[in-house]
Amino acid sequence: MTWHAPLALLERYAAGDLDDIQADSIEAHLPACGQCREEIAGLAGAAIVERSWANVVAELDAPRPGPLESALARAGVPGHIARLLAATPALRLSWLLACALVLGFAVWAAGEREHGAYWFLVLAPLLPLAGVALAYGPDVDPTYEIGLAAPMRSFALLLIRAVAVLATTGVLATIAGLALDGPHWSAAAWLAPSLGLTLASLALATRAVPLLAFGGLATLWIAGTGAGWLWAREPLDLFSPGGQLCFVLLAALAALVLIRNADGFECRGAMT
Amino acid sequence: MSAERGDVEVLAAVAGGDRQALRVLHDRHAPWLALRLARRCADPGSVDEALQDTFVAVWRSAGRYDGRGDVGAWIWGIAIRRLIDVMRRLPRSEVLMAEVDDRRTVEAEVLGDVEHGDLGGALSRLSPELRAVVQATVLDGLTSREAGRLLGIPTGTVKTRMMRAKAQLRAAVA
Repeated sequence: MTWHAPLALLERYAAGDLDDIQADSIEAHLPACGQCREEIAGLAGAAIVERSWANVVAELDAPRPGPLESALARAGVPGHIARLLAATPALRLSWLLACALVLGFAVWAAGEREHGAYWFLVLAPLLPLAGVALAYGPDVDPTYEIGLAAPMRSFALLLIRAVAVLATTGVLATIAGLALDGPHWSAAAWLAPSLGLTLASLALATRAVPLLAFGGLATLWIAGTGAGWLWAREPLDLFSPGGQLCFVLLAALAALVLIRNADGFECRGAMT
Repeated sequence: MSAERGDVEVLAAVAGGDRQALRVLHDRHAPWLALRLARRCADPGSVDEALQDTFVAVWRSAGRYDGRGDVGAWIWGIAIRRLIDVMRRLPRSEVLMAEVDDRRTVEAEVLGDVEHGDLGGALSRLSPELRAVVQATVLDGLTSREAGRLLGIPTGTVKTRMMRAKAQLRAAVA
């Protein structure tokens, strides 16, 4: 580089005092000229450089989001929600693997005996129920205390996570349902009971201790379906269109209760 | 190059995970980058953020420098795109291009009459909107789409303004 910008010109550039044409000309020169860059650095002062470097170091040392969190963020999920989802116990790989394993066994068992699909349909709605139960609470959530102090409604957090759990277990159950050896409609018959049970448990959780609500409903479900197996002539009738309608109605009712009682969850959450 | 180690060498060290080398590179380049970014964005916070993102990107992708062109120009290419990203995240009202100083424009108009026929005069007589497009595409090396994002106008507008600017410059130097 043979030409260098006069110091006076660089000074005026650094002070923002040059007209646009001259400033452009300086800017065209700087990327290729180390000597003029050094002059500029001298003019800018050490304080600016120190502050900028502190910013860079802070960012380099900041913890980087895990694969799930960054994948969610890339998919357009806002950063804070992505982090809350990534911290959901029921979205860990171990949980999803366990779900896949349980569903796999259920599908396999369904092929082994008559009405085997029944047990798949009993089991599939329990998974999202358990997942939602494990999504939020003092005993299961590593970020529970942070969540309480966060400027976000605990109930909103539970709902966000419940949706994520429903979606992931739903995908797993769909895949398992396709492999199911039973009446063709049984591949999708788990959906309405899942929704009904999960929403009902969330509605109960606005009034009762969450784990009690989830556990109580799960027990009811197992007892009810067990009784159906023992005494009904056609156990699969529980999942027939009539039964499905009942679950849809239950889901709708629970959704209404949820919307009305959301505040109840908040007050109790603050007391625990 | 007056520095002890050339930029290319330092950048290679950065690619090898040497944070001290990043510090050297940062101290050499941050000042002029800050000034140049500040001429394109009136919000100092955004400039700081873009500068930070730039050196974080340099740290993580130093290995992608292909040895062609100056390291300074390579870093600038990262910096201007980081600035565009930062400005895209801001609400529209906060993104103000550095305002055109009226006094300077009047001065340029007067000078323009004297320097009729030369390119510098013709450039300075371009309207601020056209000049911003010329600056973004010619000097900063942005595509029409990137220039549109930087200036907050549609890609098509960048293209038509560039065409008008070219026509005006051609007429002036002819």
